[in-house]
Amino acid sequence: MTCIVEARDVKKSYRLGNISVPALRGVSFDVEEGEFLTIFGPSGSGKSTLLHLIGGLDRPDGGEISVDGSKLLQLGDDELARLRLTKIGFVFQFFNLLPRITALANVELPLAIANLPEKESMERAKETLRLMGLETRMNHRPFELSGGEQQRVAIARALINNPKMVLADEPTGNLDTKIGGEIVQLMRRLNKEAGQTFVIITHDATVAENADRTIYLKDGLIEGAKEGTGMVKS
Amino acid sequence: MFAMAWDNLKKRRLRTSLTTLGVVIGITTIIGLASLGDGLRSAVNRNFQQGFELDNLIVIPGSFAAGLRGAGFNPSDVASIKTVGNVTLVTPMITLPTAQVNETVNHEKLGAFTVGAINFTEMQEMLPQRFRLQPGGHFPNSIESHAMILGYQAARLNSTVIASVGDNVTLQMLVGTSSSAYLYNETYTITGVLAEGGTSGLTDFDYWAFIHLETAEDISGIGGAYQIILVKVDDSKNAANVANAIQSKFPPYSITVFVPSSLVNQVNNVLNLITIFLLSVASISLIVAGVGIMNIMTVSVMERTREIGIMKAIGARSRTVLSMFLTETVLIGAIGGLIGILMGYGLSYALAFGLSGVVQSSQQSGLQTPGSQKLSITPVFSPEWTVIAVVFSIGVCLVFGMYPARKAAKLDPVQALRYE
Repeated sequence: MTCIVEARDVKKSYRLGNISVPALRGVSFDVEEGEFLTIFGPSGSGKSTLLHLIGGLDRPDGGEISVDGSKLLQLGDDELARLRLTKIGFVFQFFNLLPRITALANVELPLAIANLPEKESMERAKETLRLMGLETRMNHRPFELSGGEQQRVAIARALINNPKMVLADEPTGNLDTKIGGEIVQLMRRLNKEAGQTFVIITHDATVAENADRTIYLKDGLIEGAKEGTGMVKS
Repeated sequence: MFAMAWDNLKKRRLRTSLTTLGVVIGITTIIGLASLGDGLRSAVNRNFQQGFELDNLIVIPGSFAAGLRGAGFNPSDVASIKTVGNVTLVTPMITLPTAQVNETVNHEKLGAFTVGAINFTEMQEMLPQRFRLQPGGHFPNSIESHAMILGYQAARLNSTVIASVGDNVTLQMLVGTSSSAYLYNETYTITGVLAEGGTSGLTDFDYWAFIHLETAEDISGIGGAYQIILVKVDDSKNAANVANAIQSKFPPYSITVFVPSSLVNQVNNVLNLITIFLLSVASISLIVAGVGIMNIMTVSVMERTREIGIMKAIGARSRTVLSMFLTETVLIGAIGGLIGILMGYGLSYALAFGLSGVVQSSQQSGLQTPGSQKLSITPVFSPEWTVIAVVFSIGVCLVFGMYPARKAAKLDPVQALRYE
């Protein structure tokens, strides 16, 4: 198995005024291609920071991260943007859809940024939304959709460029248990059918129970890991 | 990109229209004043051209510096002016002193203020536009020594025609110095009446009568002293140089050369200065509009921080974000510019209409020779100004949109995503 993510001794701290607050204090782990991995931990454990670093949204203070063979520290801002556009899809807790445009236009956005012809990107966006079971909701704007529907639109947007890896930050955090469970099942299905790698950050034990592997993060350090699906200690 | 920017502007309709309104006002003022200025200039030029032939010079003896006293010119002066480069025609004129023209039936005095003795052929060549006869007359040939041509008003008394082609008139004048003065009194036949010349230019021939130059030269006591020499140059651009060359042929301050084209140039310079002044004032309103755009776009960037974060997270480069915001401001500039151009021409027509009325009513009350024409201003549509206005409005929007757009492009995606 090849590794899509290799993280070595990753450190990151934030400045709050004059105080430096460490968020990650030396984290090392790999993610294998096709894996469904959850990173589990309480709030403030550095999960989101880690996800931002893997996704090239932010840069570490120390250590090294490779994504699909590219060392992120060696990439410029534009190359990181290109990496996010072509190889990574993001899913957020608060969906982060553009509020004033339709579901369809939101899903088309990455293709528009990639300068794909309008007709082709519309076809692809419709196809992806159909895959998410949203064929009747395409022309609705985000505020006209339920939370579960919004998250499915966001997943469609993350998948539209056929990325190698989807990074999800608390994807069920803003949904009730039933809908959250459906979203996890949907992601699990996509992972099995298309072989895309999923890295999901969560403090929801039921999400972690469905993962191939779970990494426990606490106070910026990896505390342990669990192989296989099943019960997770809280 | 273009469609996206258009969508973004459409979604904030009120804000977009108010921002655009600023640009519209700026461009409207600029185009309005510019086209009105051009219209004013061409109206003044037209007015001048009715009064002067711009490729002509008028040479008279004496100068203001010398108290306007000077002896008349003689034939050798005429010959010497002919040698100046770029001169194509020189024709002298004698103005007969104290001359009076009376019709022969009731001996009423005609409306001729001045009697000039000229070479008719050369004069027609000199003033092809204005030295024209009304139908039914002819310029006297060389054997019609006692033939006379009347100006349009000279043939009239209180606007009634009292002298026509074929009528006889008497020409009376006191000739010679006080010791040897005598009354000249001879009969002439009218062979033609000039078409109405109009205008109040330097050479308004409506009140003139003309006889042959040779006839006047033969009158004892008049001799060969010319009071006016008209000079034609090959191109009005050379008029000023030719005038200098003629001046240098005579002793200082002994002659005066009128250069109508330089008069027109001076008036044009003044009009240009006024136009530039008005335009700089108008430009300020466009700059104010630019500041408004900067203000709105900065607010817009703050409001859309999270949106920008999302765009960056899904792979938009900084440059993409930058051009997204710049496209929006450029659209505002282009739309505002186009509306402003249309409204600007509308404004200039409205102003021209109002101004023409004011100018005409003041002309009627002012000192004016009868028959002179009214100054009417027609705004000029100039492609140059249209292009300048569009470029200027887009340019202002680009300059003032740059700061907020750069601010948006530089946003850190992680912080932008966290922004509430």
